[in-house]
Amino acid sequence: MNRLLSGLFWISLCLILAFITLPLLVVVAASLSPSSMVTFSPADWTMKWYAALWASKWLDPFILSVKIAVIVSLVSGVLGALGAYAVAYEKCPGSEAIMAFLLSPLAVPQIVKGVAIVLFLSSAGLYTLLGTPGLIAGHIVLTLPFAARMIATSIYNFDKNLDRAAQILGASKWQRVRHILLPLIKPGLFSGMTFAFIISFNNIPLSVFLVRPGQTTLPITVINYMEYSLDPVLAAVNVASLIFILTTIFLFEKLGGFSAQIHGGSK
Amino acid sequence: MTIVATDSPAAPALRRFALRGYVPLFPPFAVLLLFFAVPIGMMIGISFQDPKTAQFSLGSYQRFLTDGLIIAGLFRTILMSGLVAICVTVMAYPVAYFLARSTSRWRAIVFALAIAPELAGVVLRTYGWLIILEDRGFVNDALIWLGLVSSPLPLAKNLFGVVVGLTHVVLPFGILALLTSIQGIDPNIEKAAQILGASRLSVIRHILLPLSIPGTVSSLLISFTMAASAYATPALLGGARFKVLATMISEQIMFYINWPMAAVMAIVLLVLMLAITFAGGRVETRLHKKLNV
Amino acid sequence: MSDIDIELISVRKTYGNALVVGDISLSIPKGEFVSLLGPSGCGKTTTLNMIAGFQQPTGGEIRIRGRNQAGVPPEKRNIGLVFQNYALFPHMTVAENVAFGLRMKGAPRAEIDQTVNTALKSVHLEGFEAHYPKELSGGQQQRTALARAIAPRPSVLLLDEPLSNLDLKLREAMRVELKEIQQQLAMTFVYVTHDQEEAMAMSDRVVVMSGGVIAQEDKPENIYNAPRTSFVADFIGKSNILPVSAVRATGDQREITINHSNISLAVGSDQAGPPAARFCCIRPEDVRIIGGEAFAEGANVLDGTISKIVNLGAHLDLWVTVDRDITIKALVRSSRSDQLKTGNHVSISIAPAAIRLLHE
Ligand SMILES: Nc1ncnc2c1ncn2[C@@H]1O[C@H](COP(=O)(O)OP(=O)(O)OP(=O)(O)O)[C@@H](O)[C@H]1O
Ligand SMILES: [Mg+2]
Repeated sequence: MNRLLSGLFWISLCLILAFITLPLLVVVAASLSPSSMVTFSPADWTMKWYAALWASKWLDPFILSVKIAVIVSLVSGVLGALGAYAVAYEKCPGSEAIMAFLLSPLAVPQIVKGVAIVLFLSSAGLYTLLGTPGLIAGHIVLTLPFAARMIATSIYNFDKNLDRAAQILGASKWQRVRHILLPLIKPGLFSGMTFAFIISFNNIPLSVFLVRPGQTTLPITVINYMEYSLDPVLAAVNVASLIFILTTIFLFEKLGGFSAQIHGGSK
Repeated sequence: MTIVATDSPAAPALRRFALRGYVPLFPPFAVLLLFFAVPIGMMIGISFQDPKTAQFSLGSYQRFLTDGLIIAGLFRTILMSGLVAICVTVMAYPVAYFLARSTSRWRAIVFALAIAPELAGVVLRTYGWLIILEDRGFVNDALIWLGLVSSPLPLAKNLFGVVVGLTHVVLPFGILALLTSIQGIDPNIEKAAQILGASRLSVIRHILLPLSIPGTVSSLLISFTMAASAYATPALLGGARFKVLATMISEQIMFYINWPMAAVMAIVLLVLMLAITFAGGRVETRLHKKLNV
Repeated sequence: MSDIDIELISVRKTYGNALVVGDISLSIPKGEFVSLLGPSGCGKTTTLNMIAGFQQPTGGEIRIRGRNQAGVPPEKRNIGLVFQNYALFPHMTVAENVAFGLRMKGAPRAEIDQTVNTALKSVHLEGFEAHYPKELSGGQQQRTALARAIAPRPSVLLLDEPLSNLDLKLREAMRVELKEIQQQLAMTFVYVTHDQEEAMAMSDRVVVMSGGVIAQEDKPENIYNAPRTSFVADFIGKSNILPVSAVRATGDQREITINHSNISLAVGSDQAGPPAARFCCIRPEDVRIIGGEAFAEGANVLDGTISKIVNLGAHLDLWVTVDRDITIKALVRSSRSDQLKTGNHVSISIAPAAIRLLHE
């Protein structure tokens, strides 16, 4: 009985992990297959679909997506840090309500936020803001709560005695923020910014309303294309952007070392 | 603080200091007000307008409640989200249990496998499922080649395809929710039950399942809400025939250019989410109290 | 053979290359109270977990009532276990916790109620049946865990530092109670602890472990009075352990020289100390401070200076430097604190019988 049960457990675990990895493997294989028939034999594989990516059809949306993600990540890092600082460090009165407001966009589905922003821009006569500016604003609304929450958590974990120790050694408030608080919450700040970057780069539900011809992000370009064809070039686009994301995370990690957070780096 | 603040000379200084504390909040508040609070308010306003004349009207709400197609879409959304919630929670449980209890070096690998797909974005995964499930896709090709079926099974562009795709998208979140909960159960409690004579099955029934109910509920909740508000997966894997609230909203904006109707649908979706989150939160606190955990 | 409850035969446990338990052989007769005593990390919990069946030995054999337990899962071993953190089921009341074992065995309702009552009575928890674990104090949780473990009447009860989360007073009271319960039930207890007083107070037999092996196994009084190694001497109670450079036997008499010093000490003849002794052990309470009056006949007398005094309340811990590097600790009653000051020159006497020779 026990053996049967643990056998079932291991089998189901393996099946579930296979379920999780299957589509990823299939996409990688598809991106290397010579035709739309997916093949798993490496002898037949080709890089031609990746070569096809070097065209403005794919490069322009990619560059726009990167540009937006970088701006969104920086702005939500700064705004999130300001909000988290006031709430978690200064602990100004009403900080719980303030935090609740900063996090409130999380309670609203993305598609609803998207509709609200596009209706707002349209009915306020701000059509011109559709495209890049609208995308940036929308994505910031989306990512700011995550950034604020991550930074606030690392400020809460920050040992207040370190601040007092610096104060008794004569450090002014600005000096303490600059030399004690910021270095210690850097991992939280960077993980918030990385998160913002990924969310913005991959976003669909908001972007779908905010793009305009000529100013379309990469995921939207891909899904528009997908409605007509399942060309293997799409697989190549997807794999390439996954590699790009992984590289970015790696770079952010090198810069901010947020994995140190897991090992108690901010303590 | 309150004692000093009555009418001593220190009071103005204090007030100035307190105000200064709020200054860093201005930029994030301004952004959220302008691009979140105001737009949501305007959307609510627009939902009460007539699509043509922009006069005050409850017409769109009336139509939502009476149009059979829309109501069908609402129920389809709920059915789809419920199925996804159940599939995700059932599949997440063994993985979360393994991650919570294992000390082997496989743990890190399984954790990476379980969470990493989240980085890949929804498009990649949906694309993967499309080439697996479509009529001339992977699974159907294999089935036909094996001679098991003569014509392709309808795996994509329907409820089945969307539930598979969404389960894949939401699964990592279900795993994380259950993982937190199972990690909170002292492994010694399971050992204690075992040494008292409980078989593996009894340990699961009497100890593990009751104690992880809060995690199960939060996994169901997060899966339901994520599925109900998902846009890209139903749009791509559901096709033109399988419409849910999220895809119907974008249709209203982009094809019918009926803003009030889109606003009404968005508000219904929002209210549905808030109601479920609220009710779920209540259930969770109640369970925590009842289970004494 | 007839009445051996638990038998470990060359039991080993390794994790990769790390040897956690190496070659433990032990037999525990029915109804005995055995303590596994040793410093943190010496493998006590691992040994207990192997007896319970939560971990499999890498080598050797574990027998319970004569039966090899390889492949027998914990739930089939009919063993009780009390955890250090109690591991009470948080979603069940005290009564449900205690009833759990019998419920799993499919005992009839009436019998369960009856046994739960008896078990709760024996740990003095009547009236707490309907409470949840988190509504209990630490001591009450401890008693619940004990009641839960003894309710199904296991033949053996394993206890892993069950008192270490209680305060000192409660701990001392529980020692007496645990011993009473054990004698009443005539149950075999295997008690893991790193507190030597606890082990001494309750056990019929103490097994001192160190680095995964048994350092000594004996009655509590023998462990204290006749430690076999310097580790045991040092770990159990306080002791002066001095390195020995030479042992001379002149007729009936033995004499030792302390390493790097001119100190020679006569050693009791009754003690068949190993000729190649490398250490000797002297308990501080066997070291007398003499202030001018006559020496005890035949005692070793050394002159020295008091280098440090630590007040322990009823007693003083006196550090007497008798040679450049050699300090001997003595335990004296605090009533003598007026006469003893740091820097005083004093003479100490040590009876030859109080010096034990150790070979490792
Ligand atoms: N799963 C494991 N993998 C590797 N080493 C382990 C494992 N479990 C225990 N150990 C090691 O085995 C040794 C003995 O552990 P054990 O828990 O038996 O000690 P203990 O005597 O009960 O100590 P304590 O008094 O602190 O509870 C320790 O050094 C520990 O680091
Ligand atoms: Mg231990």
